[in-house]
Amino acid sequence: MRRFVLIPLVLFTLLTPLLLTPAALAQGGLTLFTRFPAQQVARGEDINFPLILRAGTSQIARLSVPNLPEGWTATLRGDGRVIEAAYVLPDEDTRVDLRVQPPENAAPGEYRLSVVAEGNGESATLQLQITVKEQLPPSLVFDVDLPNVRGAPDSTFRFNTTLRNEGDTDLTTNLLAEVPPGWFVRFRAAGQEVTSLPVRANGSESISIEVEAPEGVELGSFPIYIKAESGDVRAEVTLTAEVVGQPQVNLTTPDGRLSGQATIGQTATYTLRVRNSGSAPARNITMSGTPPSGWTVEFQPASIAELGAGAEQEVTVSLRPADKAVAGDYVVSFSARPEEGRSSSLDFRITVLTSTLWGIVGIVLIAIAVGVVGLAVSRFGRR
Amino acid sequence: MLAQRSTPASGAAAATRREGSPWTGLWAVVSKEMADYLSSTRMLILELITVLTAAGTVFTATAQLRETVGQDRFLFLRLFTTSQEPLPAFVGFLVFLVPIIAIALAFDAVNGELNARTMSRLLAQPIYRDALLLGKFLASLFTLALVLTTIWLLIAGLGLLRLGVPPGGEETARLLWFLLLTIAYGAVWLALGMLASILFRQPATAAMAALATWLFFTVFWGIIAGILAQILRPVRIGLPAELLAQAQLEQALSRLSPNVLYTEATIALLRPEVRSLGFVLPSQLQGAILGAPLPLGESIMLGWPHMVGLIAGTLLLFALGYVLFQRQEIRA
Repeated sequence: MRRFVLIPLVLFTLLTPLLLTPAALAQGGLTLFTRFPAQQVARGEDINFPLILRAGTSQIARLSVPNLPEGWTATLRGDGRVIEAAYVLPDEDTRVDLRVQPPENAAPGEYRLSVVAEGNGESATLQLQITVKEQLPPSLVFDVDLPNVRGAPDSTFRFNTTLRNEGDTDLTTNLLAEVPPGWFVRFRAAGQEVTSLPVRANGSESISIEVEAPEGVELGSFPIYIKAESGDVRAEVTLTAEVVGQPQVNLTTPDGRLSGQATIGQTATYTLRVRNSGSAPARNITMSGTPPSGWTVEFQPASIAELGAGAEQEVTVSLRPADKAVAGDYVVSFSARPEEGRSSSLDFRITVLTSTLWGIVGIVLIAIAVGVVGLAVSRFGRR
Repeated sequence: MLAQRSTPASGAAAATRREGSPWTGLWAVVSKEMADYLSSTRMLILELITVLTAAGTVFTATAQLRETVGQDRFLFLRLFTTSQEPLPAFVGFLVFLVPIIAIALAFDAVNGELNARTMSRLLAQPIYRDALLLGKFLASLFTLALVLTTIWLLIAGLGLLRLGVPPGGEETARLLWFLLLTIAYGAVWLALGMLASILFRQPATAAMAALATWLFFTVFWGIIAGILAQILRPVRIGLPAELLAQAQLEQALSRLSPNVLYTEATIALLRPEVRSLGFVLPSQLQGAILGAPLPLGESIMLGWPHMVGLIAGTLLLFALGYVLFQRQEIRA
């Protein structure tokens, strides 16, 4: 019994929306609208209005743009084709694109136009408003945080710049650099190396400029002209790379050998080489060593007053192990410290040998023992 | 023990001065004695013992060395110094085996001839007592050297077979020095055994005396050295200097024992990373690269005083025996 009651109830609930919808739509007439009916546009730009048509009953709607300002053109498109009429279905939106082209020399100001759709005995009108604005001329500006950078000859001079487009049009700019001969310039934007890059209207791009000096560059200031060009528009900036020298002291040995021998109780000498591979002279280089306790280390000369860039000098080090040193390998560290700049140190492995004196003493002792035997032979020998 | 010599007699002996070299006939004595030694049953027993120890220690050492992963510059030396429970290392065996072999070879050198009543017949030949004594000593020394060299070669050969690694030049040099050192160690005990054979008429007494000396140095001397050091250099306050002085005296006293001399010199030769056999203060190790091997010459220098001690001890014991033998009544 229950089942018979349920079935009509379910059927009723399912059918209700189907019965109601067409009746509700059929009450409205032909409608024409767009989402944004008033728009601003820059001079020389086209403008697009997506139009939507609705109707209660199926009908053909003729479309026209009657009061177009002089010199303006308007085109209606449906599905990419130029159209004059559209068939409107009751339960479906019909989409039409209106494309308006203001003339090149349109004066800034407000313009009105209307779109009319004429259907089966009824019509709809849509009012549109277009405001043409004066456009800003394109211009580029280079901003530099730190236009003056100091660095060693082998370092990379890095300038952080910002290229701003103050105009209302997007620009693709070429980046150019004018540098002294031998110098090398790289432009980086967003981590990539670039030679040209687009800058959006009223936008900006940060560009990192990396400059490298050639080998053997002289010390001093070098100007670097950077240019960003896009057609007639250009921006320029002058950067300065200041090359300052610094001494770099290297301590080595003439033959590269970092080990030696030393006998207990005797002074061993080794030759070290101090080299300035930097770009400025090193002054007052003091030589020092960290030997184990009881050892003596002397340098000849103990200090170097001045060592020019690229120059080298040999230093003799005299080392005497402690008298109670145990034979074997030791590490002694030598270092050269200039007044300015980093010091250079060198680990030298020294094999300590014991004096052969005690070996000779041993042989003498054995000889004495042999002598005792000989003495016994001559004293107690029997015939 | 010596067979009769058949060389023609030299000229008539002078009353006070000796004619010719006292070493005439030395090499005849040496060769006859060696022939006796090498064909004796005593020698066979000694050889069996040594071969057993050599084979046993090498097999345990190689078994352990094979398990060790990693590089060792002186792998071949480890053959002689690696021990595995319950067997000591080969070097440890030699410390007490060499004295026993040496004493066994020499304990009846002189009194054996006297008891067999061959001494007077022997000296009726134109050989001086000098040549006889030195000849007997050299013969036993050569025999000992032969035995030790055989074991040495045996171990090297077994090691080559089992490890498959040939010894390097420095290892070979170190092992040769080790062989020389072992022979010098044996020579001390030979000289002692010979001294005992001169002192005591009964070979058994001589053997017992020599073995007692050996036992004394092996077991008791270390203890006595410790006690003596405590008495002579007592630690009153506990200063490091006092402790050091006592330890140094104990070491110096213990070095009177040939066993200690031999063990220390062996360590210096077969463990190249050993830098010092004495006490090392921390200040002496400042800047030292630990574990770096010493050059060969330095290792030899380290063990050289020990070697000198062993050689000089041999010579002095021999000289003492010589003097006693010269003054001995040998007519039976």
